[in-house]
Amino acid sequence: MEAVRKVASLWRLHVLVLAFTIAAELVGIVKIPIGIGAILLLPLLYSFVLGLLANPNITALGRKFIGSDEVKAATPLIVIAIMPFIAKFGTTIGPAIDKIISAGPALLAQEIGNLGTIILAFPIAVLVLRMGREAIGATFSIAREPNIAIIADRYTLKSKEGAGVLGVYVVGTLAGTFIFAVMASVLATAGILDVRALAMACGVGSGSMMAACTGALTNAVPSMEDEIVALAGASNLLTYATGLYVGLFIALPMVNWAYRILRGSEDEGASGTDGAAKPATNKQEG
Amino acid sequence: MSAITRPHIDMSEHAAVLFVVSILCLVANTVGPGNPVVAGLIGMAVLYAIVMAGLALAKWMPFYLPSVAWISIVGIVITLPGMPGQEWIVAQTEAVNFLILATPCLAYAGLAIARNEIEIAKTSGWRIALVAVFVLAGTYLGSAVIAHLVLSLQGA
Repeated sequence: MEAVRKVASLWRLHVLVLAFTIAAELVGIVKIPIGIGAILLLPLLYSFVLGLLANPNITALGRKFIGSDEVKAATPLIVIAIMPFIAKFGTTIGPAIDKIISAGPALLAQEIGNLGTIILAFPIAVLVLRMGREAIGATFSIAREPNIAIIADRYTLKSKEGAGVLGVYVVGTLAGTFIFAVMASVLATAGILDVRALAMACGVGSGSMMAACTGALTNAVPSMEDEIVALAGASNLLTYATGLYVGLFIALPMVNWAYRILRGSEDEGASGTDGAAKPATNKQEG
Repeated sequence: MSAITRPHIDMSEHAAVLFVVSILCLVANTVGPGNPVVAGLIGMAVLYAIVMAGLALAKWMPFYLPSVAWISIVGIVITLPGMPGQEWIVAQTEAVNFLILATPCLAYAGLAIARNEIEIAKTSGWRIALVAVFVLAGTYLGSAVIAHLVLSLQGA
């Protein structure tokens, strides 16, 4: 069997993942109290950090364990490894379908809430940090794979917009699980927003962000575990279905419009493949 | 456009990788939350079957949806109240803790960070890093606040 041989040839990679999984699960969930709530450290965060530490692209130590070919081969495994998790979420949504339907209006409305990045991050990027058109790629979405495809299609990834979306993508990949775990645990323990609303918001990003977020929420409010998982999963499914279109037809035109309002006079006719005709923005980048 | 192009799915390769991943998840489910091995094994087998069914739909359905969306849909449909065998399926998957299913995946993710991604992180600099934090926080808060408002309006 060709497929089995291919998987077996990566045995060192799988053994490392096995070791990290066991270590992470043995440590278990650690709760760190802070002023307004508590931050929860989850096994998935430890296994990610262990993976980074053993990555030959990041540490010299990693080169002792695996080669760069195995690192390349690990990338397509991530999306397959998250599939049982997605299946489990599905089996939690089915039995809770009544609750999902009664939360339907909120679930649909919060998909528009994805545009919250434009309200919070875009003005900070353009007005406070004085960024140029990188800000468009960086802030129009949560920068997961479908959003990269939108920017690649519209501006190419070599453009400033491309640099922006790739930068946020990489930071999200490196720190997204931590940021979601911290936000969810602090907001859940602070008790300002409805836990069901926090659960729905867990579904806005990647599978691992959702895992960190729901993990933190369910440990803060264990009595609502099934409902939290079901709502987050339903929201994530909606994001898969609508995210591409919200990004393409609403978010990207919105940031472009906002950019023209804020920068119009000094940045005329910018199209992403530009560069020569705008000394004002170029200076700010220096 | 590129996001709509349908990726090729190699069923036997997915089946083999999923087998390894399922074993890793079973180990995690046993050492972490301390769930019984046999119940966890059956639960993982059910999840495995759901994933393979979702992949088959993603590969052979006439219209395109991402495979994770199909997997989710299969999981939902077979556990809807009134579906044949629904109670049995739900009972089996309950022997698997949802959070442990992400632990092996994140280890692969840490090991998979490529050199050019490290380069991007270095050259983007602190401004992009700071903006990224606001992007993630803004998306989460935006969704949570709108959901909270709609839930309160509904009085639900």
